[in-house]
Amino acid sequence: MADDTRAAEILAGLGGAGNVVEVEGCITRLRTEVTDPSKVDQAALRKLSHGVVVSGTAVQVVVGPEADMIADDIEDLL
Amino acid sequence: MTIPAGDPVRVSAPLAGEVVDLTDVPDAVFSAQMLGAGLAIEPGHGVAEVVAPVAGTLAKLHPHAFVVVTDDGAGVLVHLGIDTVGLEGEGFTVHATEGDEVTAGEPVVTFDPDLVRSRDLSAVCPVVLMEAEPDSATDRASGSVRAGQPLFSWTAG
Repeated sequence: MADDTRAAEILAGLGGAGNVVEVEGCITRLRTEVTDPSKVDQAALRKLSHGVVVSGTAVQVVVGPEADMIADDIEDLL
Repeated sequence: MTIPAGDPVRVSAPLAGEVVDLTDVPDAVFSAQMLGAGLAIEPGHGVAEVVAPVAGTLAKLHPHAFVVVTDDGAGVLVHLGIDTVGLEGEGFTVHATEGDEVTAGEPVVTFDPDLVRSRDLSAVCPVVLMEAEPDSATDRASGSVRAGQPLFSWTAG
């Protein structure tokens, strides 16, 4: 089970609910679209995941097989 | 992942094709081995039958990717093409159900790599032992493989 704390911490690392346009779980990674990439705390996200890939406003967070559940938890927080 | 030490996980090729290093996969998550160690397979032309690379439970099943978890808790991810989630299943036919117990070699998905390529996407298929340290795969196959042939092994330290 994904715990809500991890979802909340990842959301904070993405710059908070106001910065996240879209989040989608894809097997092992969260594919997110953010408004302002400069608000993304990559160092914090790396500690919460296997890795982070930022390309413009698209931020991918590699969280492992719980990605779908974490994405749902984050959507509940948006 | 809690694999008994000294008991190798043997991963077989889920489909036929040419073996490719993960470092050559055009996706940073796979090429940096963030998800784990393994190899990739570039399929040839024509519809490819994709089979389970290990025996276990089909823990995740999407048309473009699936995860089989062994009884020891090793998770093997098979991803069919890169960024293929955007195809929303077009070109993919699923032959199993999430939660199924599968044996190695059992058909899971068929897909058309040429359809993937026609959308300017790579059809290369990473096969990753999840949470395995980068470069920790051993007995790595090279050249052409057929589905079911040994692809790589991994042993807990």
